[in-house]
Amino acid sequence: MLKDISIGRYYPANSFLHSTDPRVKAILYAVYLVAIFMIKEPIAILVLFGIIVLQLILGKITPRILISTLKPIIPLVLFIFIINVFTIKQGNVLFAWKIISITDYGISRAGIMAVRLVLLIVSTSTLLTLTTTPLKMSDALESLFKPLQVIKVPVHEMSMMMSIALRFIPTLAVETDKIMKAQQSRGADYDTGSFINKVKGYITVLIPLFVSSFRRADELAVAMDARCYRGGKGRTKLNPLKLTLRDVLTCIMFTLLAVLVVVIDFSLR
Amino acid sequence: MPEDPNSIDVRDVTFSYDVSDDDGSISPRAALDGISVNIKKGSYTAILGSNGSGKSTLAKIIDILEVPDSGKVVIFGKDAGDDELFWDIRSHCCCVFQNPDNQIVGTMIEEDVAFGPENLGVPNPELRERVDQALKDVGLYEYRNRETTALSGGQKQKLAIAGALAMRPDILILDEATAMLDPTSRDDFLALVEKMREEKGLTLITITHDMTEALRCDKVIIVNKGKAVLEGTPEEIFLSDDLWQYGLKRPVKFNFAFEIAKLTGNTLTKEDLKSDEALITRLTKMLNEPGIKMPEAIVKEEDKTEKEVVMSVKNLSYTYDGDNKAIDDINLDIMKGEVLGIVGESGCGKTTLISHMNAIFRPVQGDVIIHTKGGDLSCKNKKDTLKIRQNVGLVFQYPEYQLFEETVFKDIAYGLRKMNLDKKEQTVLIRDAAFKVGLTERELDSSPFELSGGQKRRAAMAGVLVMNPGILVLDEPASGLDPKGRQEMFGIIKRLRAQGTTIVLVSHNMDEAAVNCDRICLIDNGKIKAIGTPDELFDKDRAEELGIQRPRIARFSGALKNELAKIYPSIEFNEMYFNPEKEAAAVVTAVCKAGGANA
Repeated sequence: MLKDISIGRYYPANSFLHSTDPRVKAILYAVYLVAIFMIKEPIAILVLFGIIVLQLILGKITPRILISTLKPIIPLVLFIFIINVFTIKQGNVLFAWKIISITDYGISRAGIMAVRLVLLIVSTSTLLTLTTTPLKMSDALESLFKPLQVIKVPVHEMSMMMSIALRFIPTLAVETDKIMKAQQSRGADYDTGSFINKVKGYITVLIPLFVSSFRRADELAVAMDARCYRGGKGRTKLNPLKLTLRDVLTCIMFTLLAVLVVVIDFSLR
Repeated sequence: MPEDPNSIDVRDVTFSYDVSDDDGSISPRAALDGISVNIKKGSYTAILGSNGSGKSTLAKIIDILEVPDSGKVVIFGKDAGDDELFWDIRSHCCCVFQNPDNQIVGTMIEEDVAFGPENLGVPNPELRERVDQALKDVGLYEYRNRETTALSGGQKQKLAIAGALAMRPDILILDEATAMLDPTSRDDFLALVEKMREEKGLTLITITHDMTEALRCDKVIIVNKGKAVLEGTPEEIFLSDDLWQYGLKRPVKFNFAFEIAKLTGNTLTKEDLKSDEALITRLTKMLNEPGIKMPEAIVKEEDKTEKEVVMSVKNLSYTYDGDNKAIDDINLDIMKGEVLGIVGESGCGKTTLISHMNAIFRPVQGDVIIHTKGGDLSCKNKKDTLKIRQNVGLVFQYPEYQLFEETVFKDIAYGLRKMNLDKKEQTVLIRDAAFKVGLTERELDSSPFELSGGQKRRAAMAGVLVMNPGILVLDEPASGLDPKGRQEMFGIIKRLRAQGTTIVLVSHNMDEAAVNCDRICLIDNGKIKAIGTPDELFDKDRAEELGIQRPRIARFSGALKNELAKIYPSIEFNEMYFNPEKEAAAVVTAVCKAGGANA
């Protein structure tokens, strides 16, 4: 189960999106985040969906990888859909029983909410995690937030912390799995029993996991020290971020597409 | 006084860590206590010592990762105490540490290699060239755009070497860098490092627990209680009788040779230990002298194996999603009271197999049946799970990582929760389990996180033993321990066996498997390739046929036996022992019987 965690997982490939400047991707991500939350009309959503499919193709992301990214959030999407279906009372009633009533408007609203959430996750993965390595992502954020250094925000340190955190997600997932198995073999039980018991059971995993994370942090700090890490000053980059004309054009084109979607949406209201 | 520009000079260095005591006060504990060592430029030095002897601290002092409390460190003529030379010295000295995962910074392989030179401010295109060259040197160039987490342990350590080489160092320090690798990756790794040393003229310092690894060096320094106690060539060091008091042992073949010398009333010299050939010539000569006394009869280990099957693995297969079969149609009967070794290379399916033995993995194809007094239990049956886990104790590799309670006592008690016992019964069981692994009353009351590495491991084992399992499955119980710790661990296993516990021992160390197991099961690519007693499996022809490395003792003793057969045509070697002392006695006995030295 834990091995399936795909948040923060990078998918190595040689694609247009992979080679796009991560800063452009970060900006586009922000643009699409706003766009997704601004639109309501099905046709606009459909157009946006088309743009995201285009991005998927540009990122060479196969349906299989996409599905494995979406799998863990299916329960959340269903939950949001169901809550919305049952709570929205406007529109024509299609079905009513005691206090429960389902309306056509409710279903369409709930559907839009669910679809938006899916689009949000898909665009997070295509633009950010799947096509950008954590190190590049932190480079991008460091570069974008550089102006904040003027007001003494430790931008480099924060981006370093972020990239290390992402780098250790798979390692800690494997470790969690190992600890769970070890505790199970001395009688721990994570599947049955009451909710409280389950939560209690997880303490036997969390404490060793914390202890080991601290140990790892210590060792990593020594290893980084040994490799002469001394903050961002004077550091060079193997792959320095270089904004090309193509990147600029990509940024403009996809921003315009997002604006177009929003315009379509507003004109249909 | 001018400093020697061609050596690493550590003079009277002291260093102490702050440790918190039981009462919460903080006091310094000396890790280095006036140590002085001198390492020549371009040499290959091994630093040996037991856990906690201060050898890793010494490495950190040389790389100025720690600053000494007193004393002087001069690296190739540069004073490490000089703040202006600090980064200069550190950038020319690289370390590779024990845990492969905890020294990788980058997500992608080339990003990680670049981390060091990036910190040094190396500009492009030189940076790119350095990274590519380092990756080519270690043979990971093709993988440069892959994720670091996809590498195996051995590859991760090679990546660490690449990260070091990209900094173009003069000194490379390996701090137990091979401790977590299997023998094949270990040999591979050392061969690579030695090649790099020759090509780049590195000064190589290796800190290790593996005595055979120390034999490859020009010089050995033994550190004990923060002081350098012995220094010399490997031959000089292994001639010393003091090794054991420093928690160390001679390499197996030397143990064997020294025992023969003792039995024939001879002594070995430095020259004898120089090479295998010299040693065999000398031993042959010893055994060809008149007047060899017949050694005392060898005490055989009592065979505890009974004819009763306690666990049967039947047609067991398992596939991780999408991959090849991790284990494929395994059939295995485990007899009561035996020590069954499971050996094989990393990734051959050993861990998958043992995970089925107490239903951590529920069998999908095939089954595992546990035969108990109360009837048969099937691992397929969910209702039997609790009973199975009480009958079959499974201790994974590095079990110390599972400790979580406030005290060792409470942690051991965890396994008893579901057994409906009263406090008194619990206490008896807990003390019993702690006693079995050699933990004292004091350790039971302390926090598991305050114990030493070896004690933690034993505490975690006690947490499984407390359920009194009839079958104990151990995954690499001795990995990462120093020679003394390993010996203690196998002592515990021996005691458990004597008390009638059936033991399944997973190991990749053939030497230890051969000495400690009654039967050995060789797994290759998810299938059982061979199963039999150590004698059968490690017979020269059979081992060759199976493509496995024979234990070092068997290889060395075999070479000696060949020489002896030339002198005594009628000599017969009836039995093979994997314990060096016993094997030595067996060889001397055979010589005596064959009319020892024409007596």
